[in-house]
Amino acid sequence: MFKIAVEMLMHDKTKFLGLLIGVAFTAFLVTFAMGYFAGFMTRGFALVSENSSAKVWVMDPAVSSAEATINMSDSSLDSVRGVAGVEYATPLYLGDVTARYANGHFQSFQTIGVDDATLSGSPQPANLLHIPNSVIIDSGGTEGKLQTPLSKKDVWSYDGSHLQAPTRELRYGDVMLINSKRVVVAGVSHTIPRFPPRPLLYTTTSNFKRLIAGEKRYITFIMVRPVKNITPKELAKRISQKTHLKAITSDDFKKETVMWFMINSEDVGDMVNMVVLAMLVGFGVTGVMLYMFTYENLKQYAVLKAMGASAKQLGDMIFTQVFISAVVGSGIGIGIASLLAQIISSPTFPFRMMWFAPLIGFFGVIIVSMTAAFISLRPIKNMEPAIVFKL
Amino acid sequence: MSKIIASCKDIIKTFNSGEAEVKALQGITLDVYENELLMLVGPSGCGKTTFVSVLSGLLSFNSGVCKLMGENISAMNDDELTTFRGKNIGFVFQAFNLLPSLSAIENVALPLTVASRKRAEILTLASEMLEAVGLSGKEDVKPSGLSGGEQQKVAIARALVHNPKFIICDEPTSSLDHKSGEIVMELLQKIIKEKGASMIVVTHDNRIYKYADRIVHMEDGKIIKVAS
Repeated sequence: MFKIAVEMLMHDKTKFLGLLIGVAFTAFLVTFAMGYFAGFMTRGFALVSENSSAKVWVMDPAVSSAEATINMSDSSLDSVRGVAGVEYATPLYLGDVTARYANGHFQSFQTIGVDDATLSGSPQPANLLHIPNSVIIDSGGTEGKLQTPLSKKDVWSYDGSHLQAPTRELRYGDVMLINSKRVVVAGVSHTIPRFPPRPLLYTTTSNFKRLIAGEKRYITFIMVRPVKNITPKELAKRISQKTHLKAITSDDFKKETVMWFMINSEDVGDMVNMVVLAMLVGFGVTGVMLYMFTYENLKQYAVLKAMGASAKQLGDMIFTQVFISAVVGSGIGIGIASLLAQIISSPTFPFRMMWFAPLIGFFGVIIVSMTAAFISLRPIKNMEPAIVFKL
Repeated sequence: MSKIIASCKDIIKTFNSGEAEVKALQGITLDVYENELLMLVGPSGCGKTTFVSVLSGLLSFNSGVCKLMGENISAMNDDELTTFRGKNIGFVFQAFNLLPSLSAIENVALPLTVASRKRAEILTLASEMLEAVGLSGKEDVKPSGLSGGEQQKVAIARALVHNPKFIICDEPTSSLDHKSGEIVMELLQKIIKEKGASMIVVTHDNRIYKYADRIVHMEDGKIIKVAS
């Protein structure tokens, strides 16, 4: 009966191809949507990813993401350094500033202050930050936001802003004003783009405090590396107990950040809705196609039933046909999604094929297909085999 | 007196079509004997096909008793009926109803495959049956590659391959030209005599009446005449 089911499935090549394309499209859609979503989420914890040597992150107990933060007192750094098992601990300062460009335009930046001594957390070459008042800028996933006038006559002009003047990308040596203080662009980096996209400005702690004055608490995160004989999880627990600060491993921090986005970000909510909608459409199409395929072959099933095929045998045939379509179709769809991921994968495109994306694509299609098979059993069960006498 | 193979008494079957009720069979009583070729004739819509559907357990009925090989089919559930049909009844349809995806031999083998017989046995029996209907060498040809007469021969081989005691043929010659129809009827007559089966043939084709042992005339869901 297995062979009959397979031959029945593949007999009409056009129909079979249509079925495969439908299933493949759904698998592709689900896998690609998951990859796209994962890409955005990866950008959400870009700060953690680009500081891969920090295995433990310490923060205020109320903080649950790399996105929404509140600062800690400077003494917290000493407290963390005092915990046994800490190989090193360096502070990271986050703040928002608005910079004035030379033509009079302004732009918000997320400012990342790194430890003066180690420059840990800065893009390379980090020693550029030792130049007085210097910053390293980064587009952070934005486009066309790091601009300065093309012509010298439009730079810090005495006759006011030259907002319509032609511009070029900011580069080494360009000057901006932040809180009326002069900063010099020492370099342009290309780190992991952010979600939501925003221009970034890296500088030293001392310069950070110069630019963002008047705060009582500056340290946002403390990045910690454990000594060799202790795991990040153990050290995180130890730091939490000793300092009453929140300390978690970088992997856990990434997960918490993703969860935070899922719960708090309206953008992510909209994105999830779009992904779910795309999945539902794909699943609906697949389900209907599989059901139609069985329904169109109803008379052949009636012939088999007239000849003594049991309900179980007919059910097995339907499940065989649906399973083969689902496995082959989803294989093609996931294959195309993986291939496309290789082709379009770039720092500017938020796509990341995580291990779970093809799995969700595959099992999603299988579940929908099996549901369609169950639904298809109904007309088979209810059919009067006497339809074999109808022309 | 020959043994009774099929016996129907006071069979009533109605179809509900919206508010209208159609009385398809109005108290049919009929016996079919062993080794008999019985023809069921009458105008379209008189209930011939409905009657053979009931008789073969393919269609439920409202009242009456229907026995095949001594078994009361009205008392059987769907699974029992399916198994019973698979063992004891062969079908030949007007539109052949061959599975287009299967070759001639695979189509012939269907009742054996459904009964989960051994592969070697299936191939031998199906091959012998194809030879008996004169289609040796066409084993691997799909239905689309066969003429109408050849397709009906495959359908006949399929109906007989599992040695059923009772064969139901619905308009077996109406899709065929006269010559092919004659060949098919001669073949059916020859095979049932050899195998000792009984057969009901539903037909409009008066050219094949000569093959019948008895002819049952139906009209408006009733038997109006039985002729020998």
